[in-house]
Amino acid sequence: MVFKWTERSSTRRTFLKGAGGLSAAALAGFPLPALAQAAEVTVISAENNANALEVLRRIAADFQKESGTKVVINNMDHEAHKTAIRNYLVAGAPDVCFWFSGNRMKAFVNRGLFDDISDLFEKEKYKDVLGANAATVTVDGKQYGLPTGGTMWGMFYRKDVFAEHGLTMPKTWDEFLAFGQKSTSAGLTPVAIGTKELWPAAGWFDQMNLRVNGLDKHLALMDGKMAYTDAALKPVFDHWEELIKLGFFTPDHTSFGWQEAGAFLAQKKAGMMNLGAFVKYAFPEKDVGQLTFAPFPIIDANLPRYEEFSLNSVHIPANAKNKAGAREFIAYFYRPENLGAYLKPAGNVPPRTDLPPSDDPLVNAAVESMKTMAGASQYYDRDTDPDMAQAGLVGFQEFMAKPERRDAILARLEGTRRRIFKI
Amino acid sequence: MTNLWRRHRSWLTPTLLILPAAVLFTVVILASSIQSLWISLHDWDGFGPMVWIGLGNYRELLQDPQFYTSLKNNVIWLVMFMLAPPIGLAIALLVNQKIRGMRLMKSLFFIPLVLASVAVGVVFTWVYTPEFGLLALIFRFFGATAPAVLSDENFVTFAVVIAALWPQIAFCMVLYLAGLNNLSEDLIGAGRVDGARGWYMLRHIVLPQLTQVTFIAIAVTVVGALRSFDMISVMTRGGPFGSSSVLAYQMFEQSIFSYRFGYGAAIASVLFAIMVVFIAWYLTRIIRAEERGS
Repeated sequence: MVFKWTERSSTRRTFLKGAGGLSAAALAGFPLPALAQAAEVTVISAENNANALEVLRRIAADFQKESGTKVVINNMDHEAHKTAIRNYLVAGAPDVCFWFSGNRMKAFVNRGLFDDISDLFEKEKYKDVLGANAATVTVDGKQYGLPTGGTMWGMFYRKDVFAEHGLTMPKTWDEFLAFGQKSTSAGLTPVAIGTKELWPAAGWFDQMNLRVNGLDKHLALMDGKMAYTDAALKPVFDHWEELIKLGFFTPDHTSFGWQEAGAFLAQKKAGMMNLGAFVKYAFPEKDVGQLTFAPFPIIDANLPRYEEFSLNSVHIPANAKNKAGAREFIAYFYRPENLGAYLKPAGNVPPRTDLPPSDDPLVNAAVESMKTMAGASQYYDRDTDPDMAQAGLVGFQEFMAKPERRDAILARLEGTRRRIFKI
Repeated sequence: MTNLWRRHRSWLTPTLLILPAAVLFTVVILASSIQSLWISLHDWDGFGPMVWIGLGNYRELLQDPQFYTSLKNNVIWLVMFMLAPPIGLAIALLVNQKIRGMRLMKSLFFIPLVLASVAVGVVFTWVYTPEFGLLALIFRFFGATAPAVLSDENFVTFAVVIAALWPQIAFCMVLYLAGLNNLSEDLIGAGRVDGARGWYMLRHIVLPQLTQVTFIAIAVTVVGALRSFDMISVMTRGGPFGSSSVLAYQMFEQSIFSYRFGYGAAIASVLFAIMVVFIAWYLTRIIRAEERGS
């Protein structure tokens, strides 16, 4: 009996020791395994197109064969990545990461979290092939990333629906109003829109503002230098309200996401839709060929044509361990043949001008539009402060549902602007 | 060593046994709550420098119309969720009868509890979809047009709560079914001898035996209502224009989308203060019950 007791006691003591050890470990924080040797490039991507991801992995494998440097690609969920990046750039940065050019990139550049890659720009002569697009990754004359693929925003419609009802793409505001009347009498919703995800309403605002006030004033608003109660915005909301009152938009649009709204277009229930070329994902394979792109109608004929063109980008974090390897890899990735292959599955518009024409007519239409535009904004939630963007997105959705609350909404947005930009 | 151990065993053993749980609780719950309170006194975007603004976030909160909308919706959630225990009890009484096929009925009522709440949210979003959702089809059958409930700022919260009630009722039903199995046959028999039946039997003999179950059902339902987040995130994202948001969702939105961790932490603190009222009520009830038991 005595023997048994000692044995039991010792096991209990071992357990208690273990318990003590566990507490100590919990207090000290669980140790992480050591990461990455030098001859390795880690990449965090947020690619939600499976085919594009496959191409990215193939490019990485080819690079490994050519240079001997191992490339590890960690793909994250697109939305989750938007929050994760703020953590990993500070603690545990990869060597290469994907992000968005413009203001969203600038937020990290200002905090010194992205590496200056002007040397790579110089060496590879990227400025020659990027043209105006180089500006989207430039802060104070230095480059902090490479634009990968773009989305040209504009109107999309079905050729066969237009032919069936004798509709033509409106080029001016009056034509646009006439188009609305004609499609309503043909039993179509003139413009399909789903604002459940909020941003489509903001895209509509951007393009109206670019057509009414032009790029400089639009960017002043985005930078918090212009008031939301400014008289210059009145015609924008007047025109918008006119459309809402005439029943241009999908009823109960706050119940639908862009994909459901895209389905209305695909099912021939709507005349057109304002989106990027990714609207084709709402279409059955056999109908994608019907999809046609056209720029937003002109409102003020005296203004040059500005468009909304948002560019994704690839960066080297300032805390990367293998910056030399990262430069080699993104230069390899950025070769025309590799970049072209990567952009093809999602139908993104290449920022490099030296890529051969795509076999996707929507991409070619966007490239044509890009060549002739006078300048571009990126998108409401990319151009302005993220806090402002969240308030603005909600405000525009509310305006589209309750246009009579315009003054209250704008006063609220103005209050938010003053708080954020410390006016 | 052995001597030392033997001398201090009486207090060392319980201490070491409690230590892992206590340490985890301190690190995961206490420390993060205090840190959250600390953050709520700052202006912080999540990764830049923290700027001390004292009670600035709380002052702003009091003037934020969205805060009152969220608070109002939290109250709607709380009140409507109180329907779950009585309905759960009613269904439990119904399926507890020994009739052929009741087993199947039981499992059918049990199903929503097995589903992830995100799945429930998606299914109900489809039901509510204007024009081609189930609700729209039913209304059309009667020659009416269904309201777009998720687009209407007055209906939207009720629509979301109804979706969330479905699994919650199933949960209460399971609790009551377990309680009904533990009823004392003697008491029921004695009651029957005294001529108790129907409503009288339920009110004076069955329900008193279910007090503990009711207590748990209400406590779980209150917590479920206050932490409602996933349904809103899936079904409306707080929309249209913030009219279906609750404090938990507004906190998430402010911190993650607007990068305002200080403001989000302030909302979290308010939510915590509200929860504390219920937690205090719950704890006093438990302590009192334990005292009575011993």
